[in-house]
Amino acid sequence: MTAVEAPPTGGPGAAPPARGWRRRHLLDLDELTWPEIELVLETTDAMKEVLGRPIAKVPALRGRNVTTLFYEASTRTRVSFEVAAKNLSADVVNVAVASSSVTKGESFVDTIRTIEALGADMLVIRHAVSGAPYLAAEIFGGNVLNAGDGWHAHPTQALLDLYTMRERLPDGSVAGKKVVILGDILHSRVARSNVWSLTAAGADLWLCGPATLLRGFEAWAAAGAAAGRPFTVTSDVSAALRDAAVVMALRIQRERMAAGLLPSLREYAARFGLTQERLRLARPDVVVMHPGPMNEGVEIAPDVATDPRAVITDQVTNGVAVRMALLYLLAGVHGEVAAG
Amino acid sequence: MTEGRGPTGTLQVGAVVERLAVGPAWLVDPATGRSGPGEILVEGGRLRAVDWLSGEAAAGVDERGIVVAPGFIDLHAHFREPGNEDAETIATGQAAAAHGGFTTVCLMPNTEPPVDEPSVVARIGAAAAASGSPVRVLVYGTVSVGRGGEQLAAIGELADAGVVGFSDDGASVRSAALLRNALLYAGMAGLPVVEHVEEASLCAGAEAHEGLVATVLGLRGWPAAAEAAVVARDLAVLEAVVEDEPRARLHLAHLSTREALDLVRAAKARGLPVSCEVTPHHIGLADEWLAGARRWAWEAVDETGRPRNPWADGALVARPYATACKVNPPLRSADHAVACLAALADGTADALATDHAPHTVVDKLVEFGLAANGISGIETALGVLLAAVDSGRIGLDRALAALTVGPALILGERLGRRVGLVEGEPADLVVFDRGARWRVTEDALASKGRNSPLLGRELPGRVLATVADGRLAYADPELVAGAVSTDGEAAGR
Repeated sequence: MTAVEAPPTGGPGAAPPARGWRRRHLLDLDELTWPEIELVLETTDAMKEVLGRPIAKVPALRGRNVTTLFYEASTRTRVSFEVAAKNLSADVVNVAVASSSVTKGESFVDTIRTIEALGADMLVIRHAVSGAPYLAAEIFGGNVLNAGDGWHAHPTQALLDLYTMRERLPDGSVAGKKVVILGDILHSRVARSNVWSLTAAGADLWLCGPATLLRGFEAWAAAGAAAGRPFTVTSDVSAALRDAAVVMALRIQRERMAAGLLPSLREYAARFGLTQERLRLARPDVVVMHPGPMNEGVEIAPDVATDPRAVITDQVTNGVAVRMALLYLLAGVHGEVAAG
Repeated sequence: MTEGRGPTGTLQVGAVVERLAVGPAWLVDPATGRSGPGEILVEGGRLRAVDWLSGEAAAGVDERGIVVAPGFIDLHAHFREPGNEDAETIATGQAAAAHGGFTTVCLMPNTEPPVDEPSVVARIGAAAAASGSPVRVLVYGTVSVGRGGEQLAAIGELADAGVVGFSDDGASVRSAALLRNALLYAGMAGLPVVEHVEEASLCAGAEAHEGLVATVLGLRGWPAAAEAAVVARDLAVLEAVVEDEPRARLHLAHLSTREALDLVRAAKARGLPVSCEVTPHHIGLADEWLAGARRWAWEAVDETGRPRNPWADGALVARPYATACKVNPPLRSADHAVACLAALADGTADALATDHAPHTVVDKLVEFGLAANGISGIETALGVLLAAVDSGRIGLDRALAALTVGPALILGERLGRRVGLVEGEPADLVVFDRGARWRVTEDALASKGRNSPLLGRELPGRVLATVADGRLAYADPELVAGAVSTDGEAAGR
């Protein structure tokens, strides 16, 4: 692992391009090479060191404007980005757009142009429509970070998941480890982004859930995430959990019943919920994760959520560090030298 | 090769073609099934001479150069007038059609107001006449009032007003019962019901063909089964209807799946009066274009015919989620596209129809899921088709038949003219240089709709001249001089 220096402490806008990082935007993980992912993880180490200081603040992004633009309600992701940006001394503007104005009033493109005219250097965007950050990146002159788009991607979540796994796994690596993502795979941007990062990391990745919530993923698994990067899809929860090193439960939303995808939450909990009994199929030192927000008693039993093997609050803390790392890395790449 | 001569005064768009000679060139006449070297001469708007050449005179002429064919017929286009003239007008649509080699277009009735009563037919006819373009504009009427799927539109009156068929395009005829009545009622006039086949309950909010690409991109799936499900319903209804009304006919619009085409193939074998069309984008493009691939569909399947994984083989070259690729039915996986092309080649698909669907920037420069469905495609149809010919999966003669005699058979006498290189008839033909490539740019398009996924790409088959009903509909400003002699002297290649 190459050493990464602590962020520079220079004046306004002083962040130089980080070594080896050439991407202007972070939209999804499909394009990232393993060395790039490793660079993010190493930079995150440095940021965690900053978080451990009495005053967890460095001036790396002083004078930079980071605007969060959220078209979907979110507390933890938005606040995590805000804290991350403030820890780097950026000015932060939060814009929340009621979902109703997505279809009426100012267009998305106009909103992006307006935000840029108001001085935003970096745009953190959450949108209910898959792919919206790609359109933003085409319009916006600065850096775009995808904070979750539709069912498509949540790259910072997947990176913080990977970081947390490496922190907890015995040898600090997920390569060859059985990692299970359990729940509503179909609607999950977290699952999709984790497919890219975990297969890049060489994990033995399993996606598990009811067949109605796995639709389409068999095709993806058959094709492989990318050349030579297979993963497994199954609705057999026992087969998935057997000897798992990591289990991540995903939130089950009530709308899935209305759409006829699930009979009831009770039935889901009984058949797919992550209980202590089911967890006994996994390795004794299994790492239990959840991207939040949790429905305790549905996809995860309360005594599993609070089990010492659960790292759910670590995920939150690491989320800040990962987002600091990404803001820092992207801030060094401007439009003129854009590569990614 | 004669020295370049500029188009003379007779080559004015809209004017009668007083004199136009082409050849030696490759003539294709799907009406007679004949193709080969020859020359044509247009005088006073009529096709005066069609001379097939052989021996010395034919030397060096092959189907890879200048081609002369009957004017193309598009069974399926949206010109947006009345109601959405920002996206297209009858006049701009005619200009686009002529640039694409089309001399006849059949417009879908989903305008505002829709074509559900005769006055709208008259309004469109008046706009077509006023434009000065000789491109013939035919229209469909709706099946139901306001395309609402409840009550039959004025089918009889619309038939009297000259419509060529009936369609609730944009959605399937909602109930099997209404479809049955529409087939019976339209059957009295000998006119087809043109079905947009899509089982709505399987497509709520759908954004992309359900499969690998939609899964990876997190787009709501549009399953192939939604198309075959309605085709099966419609064919069952048709089979019962023809016992009562043998003139009933069903035409299936823009089929996009192997399963639907298999059902049509079997129904035709049973003798059912069913026909169907496929579009250029469903034979040439695949769902992987949504992810950023830009190769032809036939290049996106492996030796076994299965779609390749564009994430695994480095095929992604463009930004994902391009709304120009969002269309209904959606771009399917490459195996379906190849099946559509095979159906066109074997005649299961009777016609290539463009489903030209221009949209404004306002409706397309938005988030993918909120973007309007549709591809502006009447000007690029020939190029895509010729690329398919170049792939070896369909012959040039069959490809051009799908743009001429195929749609003509479906229109029957309502086409109002003979199709073919017929001496003495008003000239209705297209001249294109198959070997000349042109770049699809916004400036190169006559349509107001710039929503083409092919923007920036080079296509084979530059149209040099389109003559409709004896009048010039389009002439290439640069190439017509060198390739098409306007003084009767044969121009070489």
